[in-house]
Amino acid sequence: MRNEAQAIPIRTDINSAAYLDLSHEKVALQVEQLKLFYGDKEALHGINMTIPKHRVTAFIGPSGCGKSTLLRCFNRMNDLVEGCRIEGRILLDEANIYERGVEVAELRRRVGMVFQKPNPFPKTIYENVAYGLRIQGINKKRLIDDTVEWALRSAALWDEVHDRLHESALGLSGGQQQRLVIARTIAVRPEVLLLDEPASALDPISTLKIEELIHELKDRFTIVIVTHNMQQAARVSDYTAFLYMGDLVEYDTTDTLFTNPRQKKTEDYITGRYG
Amino acid sequence: MRISWKQWSQSGAPWVWINAGAVAISLIMVLGLLGVIAVRGLGHFWPAAVMQADYLNEAGQLESLIGEPVSTELVPAARLRDAGVPLNTDKSEVSRTLLKTGNRDLFGGDFRWVISDHLQQVRYPSLLMTLERREWGNFYGVPRQLLEGDKPVASFTGTDSNPQNEQSWQLLQQHIERSLAIHHEIVQIEKVEIGAINAQIERLRLQQRSLQLQGEASPAALAEIDVERDQAQRAYQQLQDKLTRLYQQANRDTLVVEAANGKQLNIALDKIVRAYRPNAMHLGQKISFYASKLWEFLSAEPREANTEGGIYPAIFGTVMMVILMTLFVTPCGVIAAVYMREYARQGLLTRILRIAVNNLAGVPSIVYGVFGLGFFVYFLGGSIDQLFFRAALPSPTFGTPGLLWASLTLALLTLPVVIVATEEGLSRIPRSVREGSLALGATKWETLWRVVLPMASPAMMTGVILAVARAAGEVAPLMLVGVVKLAPSLPVDGNFPYVHLDQKFMHLGFHIYDVGFQSPNVEAARPLVYATALLLVIVIALLNFAAVSIRNHLREKYRALEI
Repeated sequence: MRNEAQAIPIRTDINSAAYLDLSHEKVALQVEQLKLFYGDKEALHGINMTIPKHRVTAFIGPSGCGKSTLLRCFNRMNDLVEGCRIEGRILLDEANIYERGVEVAELRRRVGMVFQKPNPFPKTIYENVAYGLRIQGINKKRLIDDTVEWALRSAALWDEVHDRLHESALGLSGGQQQRLVIARTIAVRPEVLLLDEPASALDPISTLKIEELIHELKDRFTIVIVTHNMQQAARVSDYTAFLYMGDLVEYDTTDTLFTNPRQKKTEDYITGRYG
Repeated sequence: MRISWKQWSQSGAPWVWINAGAVAISLIMVLGLLGVIAVRGLGHFWPAAVMQADYLNEAGQLESLIGEPVSTELVPAARLRDAGVPLNTDKSEVSRTLLKTGNRDLFGGDFRWVISDHLQQVRYPSLLMTLERREWGNFYGVPRQLLEGDKPVASFTGTDSNPQNEQSWQLLQQHIERSLAIHHEIVQIEKVEIGAINAQIERLRLQQRSLQLQGEASPAALAEIDVERDQAQRAYQQLQDKLTRLYQQANRDTLVVEAANGKQLNIALDKIVRAYRPNAMHLGQKISFYASKLWEFLSAEPREANTEGGIYPAIFGTVMMVILMTLFVTPCGVIAAVYMREYARQGLLTRILRIAVNNLAGVPSIVYGVFGLGFFVYFLGGSIDQLFFRAALPSPTFGTPGLLWASLTLALLTLPVVIVATEEGLSRIPRSVREGSLALGATKWETLWRVVLPMASPAMMTGVILAVARAAGEVAPLMLVGVVKLAPSLPVDGNFPYVHLDQKFMHLGFHIYDVGFQSPNVEAARPLVYATALLLVIVIALLNFAAVSIRNHLREKYRALEI
């Protein structure tokens, strides 16, 4: 176990959200003094927060506030962006994921991600879900069959596609595609599921299905969801973080944040005064 | 209601007309091109009627002529008079006809221009026949007698069909079939069986030579080689005896024929490929004759300095070279494109590299030929000979133009096309799909291999299609690196190692050039130029069609995400 965590003093200013007591929760991710730069521009200004295990945590905030950027730090997706640099630490199981020598591919297996637009591969439905397993070198047909069924059932898609598993995934509707992508992600049994505006490209009924799905999945996965839609955040999440201009303005239980915000900025945002 | 010019032009209608016109012109040009070469090329195989006439020749005497009318044209009478042709007409233009009179051995040429008006008593007697021969071109005339040894077995009278002539004609056809069968057997023995023995003897010679070079030529080893060589020699002797017998059989029959000028000639049946009487054929016979001629053109080897027979070796060479080229260029081009697009840092160096690749596409093909000759043939091939084929030196194995080097040179020539098309395809794969794969724990390589490359495969095929189209039609560089007028054997045969990449080969494009411009008998060769050109277009179209259908299949399979 590393003990450097104590080495960094916990700041009590705006980014620490120290008033939120999470001592009764298990910790999934610990963010410490996270700063992110695009070239010279600082996009995240030293974020400190704790993501509790097996809970749904929502990030809200106006466009460009850094909520997606922060989300993409959790599985190091920002590594792909040229000129992107990170300071501070993110602990997953008390190990810094930005440590030298960390297998990024292994990390992404533990921290899965679903994107805004459904992005199924141009393969069959079955092969889409089996993809993560095949990457890991698993080739036992029995095991893959079982996992595919389990993942599709978990993603509430099995009933709709079980008779056409070997047809192209591109023939599915947008909502089905997004649930397929979720199935694909949970098929590798990650610990954390990152959802980056998963319903923003979908119609209301598909959105509803995704929200129900999030509700069912939270017993088994830690879920972090970025959303533009405050009602959605209120409906699905246990905790909500409000980000503004690269700062974590307020982080609290969803009930408290929406009914009794401590910060003026939060109140302005959730009452629709800007955003 | 009148529409003003201004309104009309604002409506965009003129542009539609201009576009449609441009498309129509392109279409007409393509169809016209295909039409011209198809009509001129394919007409050649139709059995043309053979004409007999009395001709008042340049010397003012009547002369009997037999031949196929090929074409007719109008020429100014004055020009003919200047050339010393006596004309008893006051017309300013006279028509003249090109007759294919054949009988090169008698008349010195195959063709003759005659003044159409001077032809008298034009007739088409049914016994007139065309003999296709292995030497001296076609013979036109009438058969007189069929001899078996010195013994006459059939005879013909007059110039028209009668029961006796019909019977004799049947007998003649049977004898020709027999002699063709013997000829086929002879070719089989000479090419395949003796070819195999020659290959074995050559192999033994090289084995002995390399033993000597390595200083391991012990008497025992040499004796072993000698034993094998003796066996080969004995087998060769047996085949040679068999050949002698076959040649005797083949020389048994002779056909006595009479040419237009009444001169009689003995033609050995062994020298006859085909005898037919176009004037006696009905439509059905003509069609089946046409089909068999066409098939011969596609499947047989050329005869008589490429002006007769088929072009199978050239088709084979072209297709094989293009396929080899594709095998070389596709992996190289794809790997280069993947590196430049996916791995290389996108900086000044990559930009320069990309410009260089694009410019390579504009280098004239003959330059590639020179490079291929200097680098591939002399340097690479020479080194390979030094390293692996010492025993055969000083005669080169790979250090001489050949199929391998031609394919490699064309691969180099088409490399930019494949690189550019593949890069284009890679850049079109949506970022979201790559991220989706990476987010599942795939490495960059796994993402490339399992998702990106399959999705980019239609673009790669586009590159291959363009490469094939360019390579199949290229002639200039090939003349330097491996194409020949006449290759003694196909690059694939039954002798070890079965595929001979070091051999020279024939190519349709070069064949057109050779037949059209290097032929001793231009008039006879011209229809073949058209036919070969048509075939080249068809071969390229088929190769392209194959590639396009593979691409469409891939497109359907990896239909990229919309938006």
